[in-house]
Amino acid sequence: MAEEKKTTRPETEQEISRRSFFTKMGLGSLGIASAGTLAFAYRFLSPNVLYEASPIVNAGQAESYEVNSVTLHVKSAIYLVRLPEGFFSMSAICTHLGCMTAWKQDLGIIACPCHGSHFSREGKKLAGPAPKPLPWLKTWLSDDGDLMVDRSIVIHPLQFLRI
Amino acid sequence: MTEPKDFTAGVGSDIKKSQKRVLFVTRRTSAQVRVFDEERVQTYPEALFRAALAIELLTIALVLISLFFNAPLEGLADPTNTPNPAKAPWYFLGLQEMLHYFPPVVAGVLIPMVLVIALVVIPYFNVNIEADGLFLKNRGRRLNIFYAGAIGLSLFLWFFHVYVALIPTLLIVAIMLVAAFSSPASPQPLRRYLASKPVSWWVMTWFLLELIVLTVVGTFFRGPGWSWVLPWRS
Amino acid sequence: MAGKIDDYLAKLERTRVWRSVFRGGTGSSTLRRALAIQQNVFLHLFSTKVRRRMLRFNATWYLGTLTLGTFLILVTTGILLMLYYRPAVPQAYADVKDLQFVVSSGLFLRNLHRWAAHTMVLLAFAHLFRVFYRGAYRPPREFNWVIGIVLLMITLLLSYTGYLLPWDQLAYWAITVGSNISATVPVIGEKVRFLMLGGHQVNANALLRFYVLHCVILPLAAVLFIAVHFWHIRKDGGLYVRQSEPVREPAKEDESVELEKV
Repeated sequence: MAEEKKTTRPETEQEISRRSFFTKMGLGSLGIASAGTLAFAYRFLSPNVLYEASPIVNAGQAESYEVNSVTLHVKSAIYLVRLPEGFFSMSAICTHLGCMTAWKQDLGIIACPCHGSHFSREGKKLAGPAPKPLPWLKTWLSDDGDLMVDRSIVIHPLQFLRI
Repeated sequence: MTEPKDFTAGVGSDIKKSQKRVLFVTRRTSAQVRVFDEERVQTYPEALFRAALAIELLTIALVLISLFFNAPLEGLADPTNTPNPAKAPWYFLGLQEMLHYFPPVVAGVLIPMVLVIALVVIPYFNVNIEADGLFLKNRGRRLNIFYAGAIGLSLFLWFFHVYVALIPTLLIVAIMLVAAFSSPASPQPLRRYLASKPVSWWVMTWFLLELIVLTVVGTFFRGPGWSWVLPWRS
Repeated sequence: MAGKIDDYLAKLERTRVWRSVFRGGTGSSTLRRALAIQQNVFLHLFSTKVRRRMLRFNATWYLGTLTLGTFLILVTTGILLMLYYRPAVPQAYADVKDLQFVVSSGLFLRNLHRWAAHTMVLLAFAHLFRVFYRGAYRPPREFNWVIGIVLLMITLLLSYTGYLLPWDQLAYWAITVGSNISATVPVIGEKVRFLMLGGHQVNANALLRFYVLHCVILPLAAVLFIAVHFWHIRKDGGLYVRQSEPVREPAKEDESVELEKV
C-alpha cells in the first residue's frame, strides 16, 4: 500500500504541491490578463483618427517675400525666410517647451516668451534653455509658383531653396 | 425631564482612563514609563465639533475672499499667440524658474522625481529618525561630508548660473557652520537651538527656503521673456 | 422655546427610525458617544478618544482638518460648476464666461472653487512641513507620511488638470508647456505626451481627458487616500505627541514657573 502511494506521488525535490500549482496558475493567468488589459488600454487611449490640421502648408507666392525678410506665419507656426542664398522655412515652435516664438526685427533675433531662449535668423540657438536649434522644414515650389512647406519633415539646416 | 435614577452609569466614570498597553521588553533595555495618566477626551463631540468649527471659519474666510476677488480669466485660448510672460499658477513657478536654467528633462522630470522620492523615503532612513544634532556624533566624518556636499552643491549651482538658488543655499550653509561650531550647552539659546538640529531638519529647511525663494522670484521678479524685473517698478 | 426644541429632538432620537439609522443609541454617556464614532461608517475611521493636549491649536494648527475642509468645498462647488460646463472647444470658454456673467451665483461659485483650490495647495504644503518639523513622520507613522505625499501629488495634479478647463490663454499655454515637459523623458516621453493629450496638439481631446481626470479619476483617488490617511492616524496610535509637551495646561502662571525651576 505504502509502495503504491510512492509511485503515484513521487517524493522528489521538484514536487509541487497542489496548492502552489494552482497559486502559480492563478497568478500566471492574472498576469497574462493584466498584460492584455494594459495593451488594450494603451490602444484605446491612442486615438486612431485625429482632427488636426494638415502638415503641408501653402505659404503663398515666392515673389511676395522680400530678400532678407523673416515672415512668421502665425496660423501654421512657421517662419519663411528669404536670404540672398534663397528661401527656407523653419518651425516657429520653441524647441524648449513648445511656446510660440516671435521675430524681433530691431534685434535681428527670434525670441521665446516663455523661458527666454534666443535664436538667430537661421534658427541657431544664441541663448537660453532651448536644447536644439529651430528645425528647418522641407520646402518646395509648387507648379503654381507657391511655396509649400511640410511641417512634419525636418531637413538639415542650410539647405536653401534657390529659385 | 425624566426621574433621576438611583444609580449613575457611564458619564464621566471612565473619561480619564486611557488604554493599557502591554509591552514586552526584549534585549538589554530597561523598561521605562514615559507617560502615564494621559488625559483623553471623547472624539465626539470634543474633537469633531472643534474640527467642524475650524472648517466653518475657513469657509467663511474663503466665501468673503470669493465675494470680493474674482478668479482670473484671460482671453480665449489662442495657439498662435503665446502670452509674454506665460506663467504657470504660483505653486508651479518654482519649477518654471528651474526650467529657465536646466534642460526640461532635468528641471521638469528629474528634479521633481528626486524630490518626491526624497520625501517618500524620509521616514525609512535611520539618519532621519534620530533627533540628535547633526555634528554631535561622528563629528569629523560628518563635517567632511558637509563640506564636500556644500561646496559641490554651490559649485554646481554656480556653474549653471542658478544664483537664485545659490543664495539660499549659501545662507543655509552659513547657518550650518554656526551650528557646527556651537555646543548644545552654549549660553546663547539660538546656538543651543541650532546645535541640536539633525540632518533631516537641515535638508528640509533648505528645501523649504528654496521653495519659497524660487516661488517668490518666479511670481514677482520675472517679466517678459522670463527676464529679471522688479515688481515695484512696473 | 429652546426647551421645546430640545424636547422634540429628544423625542426624535427615541423614534424607531432614528435608532435604525444611528445605531449607537442616544444620550450623552461615554458609551453612547464612543458608539457614535464607532458605529458610523465614516467616523469609525477615527478613534473614539483623543488626547486632550492634541486638541490645542498649537499642536497641529488644524492644518489637516482645514485641508479636508477645502477639499469638501471644492467637491461641492465643483459639482455645481459641472452643471454649466461643457468640456469642448471652444464651448468650454464660453461656458466659463457664462458662469461669470450670466449664471446666478456662477461668478461666486467659480471664485470659491478657484480660491479654495489655491488654499488647498497652500494648506497641503503647510501640513507637510508642519508634520515634518514636529517629527510626526517617524515610525510607526512612516506609511501615513507616504500616503500624505501621495495626497499632495493628487492635490497638485487636480490643480494642474483643473487649470486647463477654462480654455483661456493661461490654461492653454500652461498645459502646452506642461505636456512638453513630459515629452522630454527619454524613449517614452513622446508616447506619454500623445496619450496625455490624445493627439499631437493641446486640443479638444486633451481638454476632454483633463476633464475626466479632474472630475472623476483624481477626486475618487483623493477620497480613497484621504480615508486611508485618517484611518492610519487611529491605527498608528493617534496624533503624534511630543513627550516634552505638557500633558495638562499650566493652571496658573506662578505654578508653571515653579515647575520650570524644579
